Amino acid sequence: MLKTIKRMLKMHRIFIAQDLKKMMEYKIDFLTGAFSFLLGQAINIAFLWIIFSQIPQLKGWSYDQIIFIYGFSLLPKAIDHLFFDNLWMVGYSIVAKGEFDKYLTRPINPLFTVIVERFQVDAFGELVVGIVLIASVIGKVSLQWSVLNVILFILIIPFATLIYTGIKILTSALSFWTKRSGQVTHLVYAVNDFAKYPTTIYNNFIKTVITYIIPFACTAFYPASYFITGENPLFNLGLTVVMSMVLMTVSILVWNKGVSAYESAGS
Amino acid sequence: MIQVDNITKQFKKVVKQPGLLGSVKSLFSPKSEIVTAVDKVSFTVPDGEVLGFIGPNGAGKSTVIKMLTGILTPTSGSCTINGKIPQQDRKNYVREIGAVFGQRTQLWWDLPLVETYSVLKEIYEVPDDKFKKRMDFLNEVLDLQTFVKSPVRTLSLGQRMRADIAASLLHSPKVLFLDEPTIGLDVVVKDNIRKAIAKINQEEKTTVILTTHDLSDIELLCKRIVMIDKGKNVFDGNLHDLKSKYGQMRELCFETDQIQEVKSNLQYLQHFNVSEDDVVVSIDGANVNVKFNSDKIAVADILGYTLQHIRINDINVKDSDIEEIIRRLYKEGVTDNE
Repeated sequence: MLKTIKRMLKMHRIFIAQDLKKMMEYKIDFLTGAFSFLLGQAINIAFLWIIFSQIPQLKGWSYDQIIFIYGFSLLPKAIDHLFFDNLWMVGYSIVAKGEFDKYLTRPINPLFTVIVERFQVDAFGELVVGIVLIASVIGKVSLQWSVLNVILFILIIPFATLIYTGIKILTSALSFWTKRSGQVTHLVYAVNDFAKYPTTIYNNFIKTVITYIIPFACTAFYPASYFITGENPLFNLGLTVVMSMVLMTVSILVWNKGVSAYESAGS
Repeated sequence: MIQVDNITKQFKKVVKQPGLLGSVKSLFSPKSEIVTAVDKVSFTVPDGEVLGFIGPNGAGKSTVIKMLTGILTPTSGSCTINGKIPQQDRKNYVREIGAVFGQRTQLWWDLPLVETYSVLKEIYEVPDDKFKKRMDFLNEVLDLQTFVKSPVRTLSLGQRMRADIAASLLHSPKVLFLDEPTIGLDVVVKDNIRKAIAKINQEEKTTVILTTHDLSDIELLCKRIVMIDKGKNVFDGNLHDLKSKYGQMRELCFETDQIQEVKSNLQYLQHFNVSEDDVVVSIDGANVNVKFNSDKIAVADILGYTLQHIRINDINVKDSDIEEIIRRLYKEGVTDNE
């Protein structure tokens, strides 16, 4: 087990290095990308500041608390984006074009290989914005930052991340049957915009959907509201853990079933 | 030892009516049918053999190869390599095999070739000293030195194919699958690749399963042939058996100035008293191509007859390609008698 993890980490490092080398191979493209990335982030922060400064409060949530929830929502999203972005390609082209063949003829887990093949540096943008937003209000939201809460904060982020990852694995795996499922992933991801704001502002239908069906609320609002109010840790944090474990289990089962239904493409 | 036992693959195919309206209709009420791409194919390959796996386009060759390499899961039946089943023990199974799909590449497209090998070294956990020896051997056999530092996207097709074959052999697999390794290559490159395959087979006793449309590949490399058609096994034996069993169609090609007289002077059908299936004459400019059944007409006879009756600038006799033998097979109805 330990050996497997060690080997996976090593492979991960090698693949990331490979992807970074690939970026450097096209220098002008890389520099343009880096520039547009910085510009994009600057505009993004400015825009958020303009919007939020117009909203003093929202259904009992103060400006600072909304900023905290918004910032929190970006962290798991960014980490997922950074490490697991290549899953998008499974539904958009890898399966339809038969490119999944090569992952199946190698002695490492195909899902793992698809994932580590891409390291999406664009995600650093969301990560930076998320951290900046949280840092700017952290003194003003009401929670006491005890050692325990800091540890909980650090521990809950990976679980929240796996909710994104699980949803992507699940919707991408549909392509093994339908050939293309990128639009399904896209559709499910569209719901994600609800997660950036306090879930209490929505009606019951949307609340139920983003809590139990496509549980994006567990990636931001519930855990964030614990860190703001200190209330209900069992539900606010526990639901995130449970949902992410359930989603990952289901999505990996579906993925494995999908692999045996994979039909390749003619050649 | 590779054992393929009644392997079958069925695909569900959505039947679409033509046109946009048809597409919309089938979106709401899809009609599907089951297509059997591979139907109970069985064969065994002993260690160290080079097997030619042939059949017309769409016969199911690639589907069989993809099941053998663990890419597709068979609908029924099984394939094992040294007792291992790909769907049960993928990781250990794929360590024993190497695969090259001529139409695809497993190389890292944007990076220098050498980067691909260093990643594959890690994927297959090849130790440093073994890796160095292996690269030396592959360099020698496939002549990679001149382009190993170039980005893969800049390689020519011949170079890329050699690079892909080397990539599939890096972990010293016991079985090598080559799906159309000579497709689209010129004669010199084809020849180099055949020599390399033969050398690897001889020196390392690697079992090779090769699909191709080029009869020369088969003649130079394969002791044995398995032929499938419409998903079924139609022949299993050596090339000589194939030719004698199904009648050997050969081609007589010549160039002449008396192109107008060809039709009147050369009465193959009457002279040799054979049916229209056994002699087919086609004319293209000054070149004449005569396909004939060498079981019914001896090569010497047809040559003598042709030379007597027409003035010839250039002449040669060659074997017809696999497609021709297969076309012949259709006419004799082998598939129906199965």
